[in-house]
Amino acid sequence: MARHRRVTNLEEDKPELSISPLIDICFLLLIYFLVTTTIKQKERDNSMMLPSAAPSESQPDIQPFFIKISNEGHIFANVGAAQELLDRESQGPERILPLLDSRLEIYAAAANAGNNKPLVQVYVEAEAEQQVVSDVLNHLAKHDITTVTFTDLVLQDEQSK
Amino acid sequence: MASNKLRASQREQDDDTQVDMSPMIDMVFLLLIFFIVNATLIIVEMDKKVVVPIARYSEKQNDKMGRIVVNVYSDEFAGEGRFRMADGKEVFANDDDLTKWIKEQKEYWEDKGQKPRLHLRADGKVHFTYVRRAIRAGAAAGVNEVIFVSLWSRKS
Repeated sequence: MARHRRVTNLEEDKPELSISPLIDICFLLLIYFLVTTTIKQKERDNSMMLPSAAPSESQPDIQPFFIKISNEGHIFANVGAAQELLDRESQGPERILPLLDSRLEIYAAAANAGNNKPLVQVYVEAEAEQQVVSDVLNHLAKHDITTVTFTDLVLQDEQSK
Repeated sequence: MASNKLRASQREQDDDTQVDMSPMIDMVFLLLIFFIVNATLIIVEMDKKVVVPIARYSEKQNDKMGRIVVNVYSDEFAGEGRFRMADGKEVFANDDDLTKWIKEQKEYWEDKGQKPRLHLRADGKVHFTYVRRAIRAGAAAGVNEVIFVSLWSRKS
């Protein structure tokens, strides 16, 4: 009996690492972070090159497509007598501008057919909301049109000279 | 000299398979420290007071380098300043101040070999006249590329 007691004592003396508190803490932290985390939507890019910032000397080979955005958020194409109303407001949660979309599709296809880079000039009235401008830029991005000129920037720069 | 009983009990102990956790924990901490030391944290700050517009065809933010973040606030929050830096705390006194800051940022990114881009966080409700002023300030500082920041969809 005495011999047996000495063997068990040897076993008890062996140092062991207890993992359970570590796991407890890990779960506690996990639950804490799960509860306190608020999932934020990731922001996205709509990148545009604005040649108005660095106007080129040479004339572009292709006639630019002209878009006007009024204070009320209406979208027009062309200028002067040829001006026509395209869309009054965007539709649905995807904010689609159907008429502008079809026009841009034709314009981009024509430009690509002639190996030209599609150019778009946008005139935005002062009180138009940024969301409407973004809707138009969104449709430009859809058709891979990345060269945009905000015409009023050039005009006002020229006036200030 | 050990008795048969003792030998038998020792054999039983040897047969017990145990996983030694300490080297694994050592390795985990080592890797953790390695990644913490090596990570270069690049965050494009977002002020939640600016509710950016929705654009379905916008692209995922891949390269976060070279971004010069300017917030343009709607009338609701414009009282403390219409144009502010990334964190929304630093306010630009006027357009010249904004241009000067963009120019400084442009030089900073160019020194690092990155292409500077104006990362424009304009509220969806803001009038375009203010956005135009920010674009013009960027143009005056020599930044041609403008990123109009948007969301893919609006969560209800």
